[in-house]
Amino acid sequence: MLTTTTVLAAAGVMLGLALAMCAVLGWASRAFYVAVDPRVEAAGAALPGANCGGCGFVGCNEYAEAVVAGADVSLCPVGGSSVAAALAAIMGIEIGESAPRRPVVHCAADHAMRLGRHEYRGEQTCAAANLVAGVQGCVYGCLGLGDCVRACAYDAIHVIDGLATVDYLTCIGCSACARVCPRNIITMIPFKTDRVLVVKCSNKDFGKDVSNVCKVGCIGCRSCTRLMGEVFKFDQNLPSIDYNVYDAELDVSKVIEKCPMASLVWVGTPTPRHRELTENEELPERVEADFRTTVDQAQWRG
Amino acid sequence: MDHLAQLMLIAVSAAFINNFVLHYFVGICPFIGVSRKVDMAFGMGCAVTFVMSIAALLSWTFTYFIGRPGAPLTMWLWRLVAPGSTAVLDLSILNYIIYIFVIAASVQFVEMYLRKFFPPLFKAFGIFLPLITTNCAILFACLEIMKHVAGAADPGLVWGLDKSLTLAAFGGIGFALAITIMAGIREELEACDVPKPLQGAGITLLVAGILAMAFMGFTGVDRGLETVIFGK
Repeated sequence: MLTTTTVLAAAGVMLGLALAMCAVLGWASRAFYVAVDPRVEAAGAALPGANCGGCGFVGCNEYAEAVVAGADVSLCPVGGSSVAAALAAIMGIEIGESAPRRPVVHCAADHAMRLGRHEYRGEQTCAAANLVAGVQGCVYGCLGLGDCVRACAYDAIHVIDGLATVDYLTCIGCSACARVCPRNIITMIPFKTDRVLVVKCSNKDFGKDVSNVCKVGCIGCRSCTRLMGEVFKFDQNLPSIDYNVYDAELDVSKVIEKCPMASLVWVGTPTPRHRELTENEELPERVEADFRTTVDQAQWRG
Repeated sequence: MDHLAQLMLIAVSAAFINNFVLHYFVGICPFIGVSRKVDMAFGMGCAVTFVMSIAALLSWTFTYFIGRPGAPLTMWLWRLVAPGSTAVLDLSILNYIIYIFVIAASVQFVEMYLRKFFPPLFKAFGIFLPLITTNCAILFACLEIMKHVAGAADPGLVWGLDKSLTLAAFGGIGFALAITIMAGIREELEACDVPKPLQGAGITLLVAGILAMAFMGFTGVDRGLETVIFGK
């Protein structure tokens, strides 16, 4: 008798509580309703939800809010172009084909071009050499000890004559090299075409100090900014290219010609159009591999 | 004075001696999961303290008035249905499920409230709230309170709201303390050369074990305090 009563009473209490909670929560969801832009929710759903922070925001939700507030839609490295397209659709904007980002080493000086180099016998990593003064004159340029080479999982960057050089045919743009470079001279740049124009110097000193330490360093003459001020921005004695403005169709030949240090160079793989241009130039019949290096190095290090 | 001393004893006991994480090993999932950064760990600790206090308030109210043998509200209703009955109704079978139910609903409510009126606070620990609603540490605090309310040997020993809230709040503070210490240690661990098989959760559990052993040093302090305060 009592058991039945207990069960009935328990059921009654549960039911009563459930109804009370329903009423309270139902009232609260109306009373405390916060209007959220439906686009934020849609953008959040379109993002991968990995919360990796690769876009530069704290998590996917934060980035979704930023997108609705007007941030660039192509920042998600996980989702890539498909997510960028989805976000653009939500925001009702057109995106051009989102450009893949590839690393660019902002230094053009191989061993022969660098001045003030001294023998460095410490640990053979850039991170270690960067802590030591006087390894080479230029404190901005490539150290050539290959931290980026070791960081690359795709064998797409090599040190050639002491200068890190990216192989754009193998590179997938994971930015491991850019993260590991202790001098931060590798940046990820959107490649709208196969080849882009880059500033191949990172030295922020004044012209005379630069030419004391490097034969090809940018001396900050501003000729590029004078000629094409909308593309080239000048800051701390160094021009930089605004890749939002930069376009492959721009005629930059004049700027390249005017650059006294040849710090403005094309990087990337040549496009068919560029191949056409150099088609008639004479090339050596056959390029021989240089077998000297490995043996020499072994003897050298003894 | 006597009552205040008892409250102090409960507080010290919940925070240090019988620390929820390091003595009873409840709430291990957030303890391991959110203890990577000190600021995140501290936020988690605050959120747990907050939710635990709310849970204690609600569960004590429910247990005291409905969910114990001869609870006043239950008996009043029973007299309405069956006047003159001498039977003592016991709804304590409901306690367990009601705790989960009530805590989940109230946390949902608090979350909505925060979102509307305190957006920065919501941003700071809004994500933790749903995570810890039915966390075992919260439920453990409720069951501990139930033990002293529904399971008290004689009516004089039934815990009041003040004792229950003290237990929950200081239990939460003890959790916050433990997780913050843990996060501090883990931040230092980042710089250590941990053997490969132990990296990640392995070393964390080892550290938690050592920390628990360190907290064992508090064992018996409550009895000592009792002797000092009550002179038994």
